[in-house]
Amino acid sequence: MNPSPASEASGSMHFVTDQNGYFADNYLVKPGTGLRSWLYTLDHKRIGVMYLVGVSIAFAIGGFFAMLIRLELLTPGPTVMDAMTYNRVFTLHGVVMIFLFMIPAIPSGFGNFFLPIMLGAKDVAFPRLNLLSWYLYLLGAAIAIYGMVYGGTDTGWTFYTPYSTTTATKVVPVLLGAFVIGFSSILTGLNFIVTTHTMRAPGLTWGRLPLFIWGIYATSVIQILATPVVGMTLLLVAVENAFGWGIFDPARGGDPVLFQHFFWFYSHPAVYIMILPAMAVISEVVCAFARKNIFGYKAVAYSSLGIAFVGFFTWGHHLFVSGQSAVDGGIFGVLTMFVGIFTAIKVFNWTATLYKGSVAFTTPFAYFVGFLFFLVFGGMTGVALATLSLDVHWHDTYFVVAHFHFIMVGATVMGFLAALHYWLPKITGRMYSEGWGLVAAVMIVLGFNFTFIPQFLLGNMGMPRRYYSYPEKFWALNVASTAGASVLALGLVIVLVYTLVAIKWGPIAGRNPWNSRGFEWMTPSPPPLENFEKPPTFTHGPHEYADEDPAFPAPHLAPEPKHV
Amino acid sequence: MSDATVAPPQLAHHFESLEKQQHAARLGMWLFLATEVLLFTALFAGYGVYRYLYSDTFQQASRHLHTWIGLTNTLILIVSSFTVAAGLDQAAKGKGRNTFRLFMFSVLCGVVFMCFKAYEYTHHFHEGMLPGRYYTYEALGSGPGGAIFFSLYYLITGLHAFHVLLGMTVLTVIGLRARAGRYTTEYFVPVELAGLYWHLVDLIWIFVFPLIYLA
Amino acid sequence: MAVSESHAESEKLHHSHLGRYVAVLAALVVLTVTTYLAAKVHLPAPWNVIVALAIATAKGSLVALFFMHLWDQQGANRLVFATSLVFVALLVGLTLADNATRFPLANPPGSVGALPAPEYVPPPQGGATYQR
Repeated sequence: MNPSPASEASGSMHFVTDQNGYFADNYLVKPGTGLRSWLYTLDHKRIGVMYLVGVSIAFAIGGFFAMLIRLELLTPGPTVMDAMTYNRVFTLHGVVMIFLFMIPAIPSGFGNFFLPIMLGAKDVAFPRLNLLSWYLYLLGAAIAIYGMVYGGTDTGWTFYTPYSTTTATKVVPVLLGAFVIGFSSILTGLNFIVTTHTMRAPGLTWGRLPLFIWGIYATSVIQILATPVVGMTLLLVAVENAFGWGIFDPARGGDPVLFQHFFWFYSHPAVYIMILPAMAVISEVVCAFARKNIFGYKAVAYSSLGIAFVGFFTWGHHLFVSGQSAVDGGIFGVLTMFVGIFTAIKVFNWTATLYKGSVAFTTPFAYFVGFLFFLVFGGMTGVALATLSLDVHWHDTYFVVAHFHFIMVGATVMGFLAALHYWLPKITGRMYSEGWGLVAAVMIVLGFNFTFIPQFLLGNMGMPRRYYSYPEKFWALNVASTAGASVLALGLVIVLVYTLVAIKWGPIAGRNPWNSRGFEWMTPSPPPLENFEKPPTFTHGPHEYADEDPAFPAPHLAPEPKHV
Repeated sequence: MSDATVAPPQLAHHFESLEKQQHAARLGMWLFLATEVLLFTALFAGYGVYRYLYSDTFQQASRHLHTWIGLTNTLILIVSSFTVAAGLDQAAKGKGRNTFRLFMFSVLCGVVFMCFKAYEYTHHFHEGMLPGRYYTYEALGSGPGGAIFFSLYYLITGLHAFHVLLGMTVLTVIGLRARAGRYTTEYFVPVELAGLYWHLVDLIWIFVFPLIYLA
Repeated sequence: MAVSESHAESEKLHHSHLGRYVAVLAALVVLTVTTYLAAKVHLPAPWNVIVALAIATAKGSLVALFFMHLWDQQGANRLVFATSLVFVALLVGLTLADNATRFPLANPPGSVGALPAPEYVPPPQGGATYQR
């Protein structure tokens, strides 16, 4: 058995697994299996699983709206819907994807499941608040979906005033839904920060925390500080829409750009809420599949905090052409450049980790490769957009759309998929089909490229975003983009299918099919209710492979898992 | 450390010791207070911007408010904060009944505060000092600054009043539990947390008063 | 780190602080009266705001440090509160800087330096021509 950093006092060795390596007395059957045991659960693992199911459904809904958008854009002029419907479709695509999927997916899903385990704790600090945050997510989603079903809203997910404050479309329920989900986000972040500060097992100093924890911790800081501001802002818009109080209405002396300041004060850090957890996952995946210590642990850890902090100083780059003063524009332009430095540090360190590593090109690693490529290109186009003079040309064109999809889909969704494949064996005890995994990964990466690279070209040529019709010269690239989107969608459907198959009929994976040195692999698969028999004591860091002889590396996969 | 003696009844299963649990509770409360601070920040930022843009009108509008009520309310909240702090002191000594009495005094202060605000609001409604499109007060000139001032006034003081009500509820619940003897000299952290919330309500008003009432 | 912090926190709370609270109460009352009187003096802008905020900050610090016990606690709790204040300053500061440094006509009509406010006309409900 390969040595693990906490084997001296680890409780996991005492658990009895069956002859295939599946731990039967796990969290899925204890304390019970009925509906009530799930509805009233305080177990962070079950809450994490429920979040994963919820965000996956949200992803499917948002993806459905995305395909409708691409379908409409297949031809200039109306294709399958009229302009108003198109506006509603892209608004709901944005709202569902951002608030119901991107923000909670990795932190509330994988974070809930793995943060306490990686800290050697039995649960998060406030399990009841954790359950409350899940119910708030459901409530917010229900309110927002109610608004969608009864006609939706056409303001765009950014709800710019004065249109959002004067429209008669169903903007108030959608705003209220987002407001409620904001509380869910805050409670999750609060829980994670307190857990990380106060519930680390003996020996687990800050300098030995897994990089996943650092990323989730930085994300939680942003959630605590930024979400209340957008909560207030959305409430102000709802009040103005319903009662006409006129804070953002220029006809009443208000300043519509003030709304943009408030909105982006949250929404720019929000994009770091979306990307930091994906980066956190990638740090874990890189070390496990290159079988090497991370290059520059402190740099990667602190750069997460750097992104969280400096990300708050950059919101005005969304207001470059909105009427913001030139002074503020200059300040924000310069500050935005600084944020790129931290991402660059991470990219450099991940790449350096691969050097002289022993790479296993499994599905999680394939998603890492996609992630890296898309993060670099998405990030570079971000720095280009931060240049005020260039943004004047690109603002509100498809260039911006392509940039943020490169990061949100190309980086975050790749990170989510990498996490799904890396940790499925731990969460369910079963392994997915590696062959189908690689097929889907290739389809997703190629489909993604065909979807969004044409959009960079379209944006540069001047096609505006959120337009449902366009001149004929943009036709070919739009068709290419829709074709790519179809391949991307098919790849994602394939992932869904084999994941469901694996959960029910997949081969038993055993405790540590990847032979990873991450702390979460110390517990059995699936983990027991209280994670450990007694709290482990940590004596090493989490990604330490340095004692392996590179000439005789441990096998990447355990012997062929048995099919049961 | 964890199972040397019988675990106190308030110790949750996932914490190693009562001390760590209480430390976690305090940190959690401070994080929550940080979110409350940021919630008001958007309103303060809006106030700052519009005060800059409509400085004359805002100054005049402040003078048309009942400054004596604002001053009295400030002193009321400060005194209620003091009694909450004293209540915590009593809880640390195990004297739950005194904690209850002191907290109830603070709740009474809250009631008086709300009565003053109700009086103020009623007066404003009569004068036409209403927000946004309902504004009909003539004494501040014809520009939009007056309507904006009162929109912000109702938002800020309204949100604050909502938090006063929440704080009063929390103090009542915790006060009743203190009187029932649920807290000991070893474990009184809920009293502390309730106090923190009330002090934050006071703290926010300390900033609201000079900005809104004093020109 | 967490254990020694929590130990120190609960230790400090077991000592009575009543005398300290009375002193803080007195200081807060004095400062409140001071800020009221300072406003009566009608200092020129921006000094009136600066003085008012300075006094409010002093009062707030007293409440936070002594009533809320930040004076007795180390580390995380203080950092959380201080950090939130940094972000308050950030949002208020940069937003105000925007309106203060804009080309004046870009500010809302009726405000300092901008166009005069027109007669108010309510905007069309529901936006342009689409009604569903």
